[in-house]
Amino acid sequence: MENKITQLRKGILELAVLGSLHHGSHYGYSLIRTISGESELDITEGTIYPILSRLLKEELIKAEWVESNQGPPRKYYSLTPKGERAYEILSAEFSKLAATVAHAGKKPEKSSSEEEKKVLEVKKEAKDGE
Amino acid sequence: MANDFSEPVAKIVENYLMRLKQHLRGLPEKDQQELIKEIHSHIYESFREDSTENEVDRILKVLDKLGEPADVISSRMSPAMVQMGKKKKLPLYILAGVAIALFGVPLGLSGISILLALFITILALLASYYLIAGSLLVCGWIGMIVSILVLINPSLLDGLGPYVQFPSLSSDLTLNAILSLVVSAILSIVGIVLLWLGKYAIRGIKFLFNLTLEKIRGFRKRRRPQVQYA
Repeated sequence: MENKITQLRKGILELAVLGSLHHGSHYGYSLIRTISGESELDITEGTIYPILSRLLKEELIKAEWVESNQGPPRKYYSLTPKGERAYEILSAEFSKLAATVAHAGKKPEKSSSEEEKKVLEVKKEAKDGE
Repeated sequence: MANDFSEPVAKIVENYLMRLKQHLRGLPEKDQQELIKEIHSHIYESFREDSTENEVDRILKVLDKLGEPADVISSRMSPAMVQMGKKKKLPLYILAGVAIALFGVPLGLSGISILLALFITILALLASYYLIAGSLLVCGWIGMIVSILVLINPSLLDGLGPYVQFPSLSSDLTLNAILSLVVSAILSIVGIVLLWLGKYAIRGIKFLFNLTLEKIRGFRKRRRPQVQYA
């Protein structure tokens, strides 16, 4: 199960990266802090870097090295116009999907047609048979 | 590189970055440097924010959260892909394409045997390739040396009889020697270029080899009973 959760998180992480950058530029570490919020992020922090490099290659984000007043320079990422558009489309799609998933997880209140009832019965039988 | 840290911490960071660098072989030097620099920056920032008292404990915690070098590079690409990096050389691409095409389909034993056959064929091709490159190089060198000797002493080969013939490209002996020198030089340059190109071929072979091994391992794993999710 743990594996499945990780997989799901990783898929969403890409959207979270675009979302954070939508609000302002970030370097890798600050991006992780922003996404995970106050809590410690459960996924391995390093996994953000392959995502960033993929987004760079797709030209959804751009990067720039900026001197830090403390310590080594930081690589700041920000959205490109193409990235802004991608974020809008993806986040709208995500809301739709999330709504669908939430709905699908609920018990059907009324099965309107005979056919639907039949399907449910068959499913039940299959379950009982296990 | 890791000189922003105290001695023992710097050692640990350096060791980590070194292991990271090993995973990056095959990538262009510039990309390698860039990623190393970025991860170094990450480690620095993460280290600065953590409040663990003991510095060694702190750096170990930071690196643990960051994950293994393989995680930093990619969680999705197979190690062979990572090794191959971003170099998109055409012959490599074709090889990789064939391998991936075989692999996109759920791979059975037949796929593996095809890969193995392909691998052996490529090895044979590679061997003959190097043989040609090597002999071109050697012939070129010998030709150059002989040409220079003849330039110095035109009658050098006269006494050697019909078995050692100097090619007559021109009636003028000196010009002839110079021409042979040039031809020999070209031959050896071609040899060197072939040898140099060979390293890409080697990289392709390595990639295929890793891919094959991975697939065989994956195949054996798939046959074991799977753990079911609740």
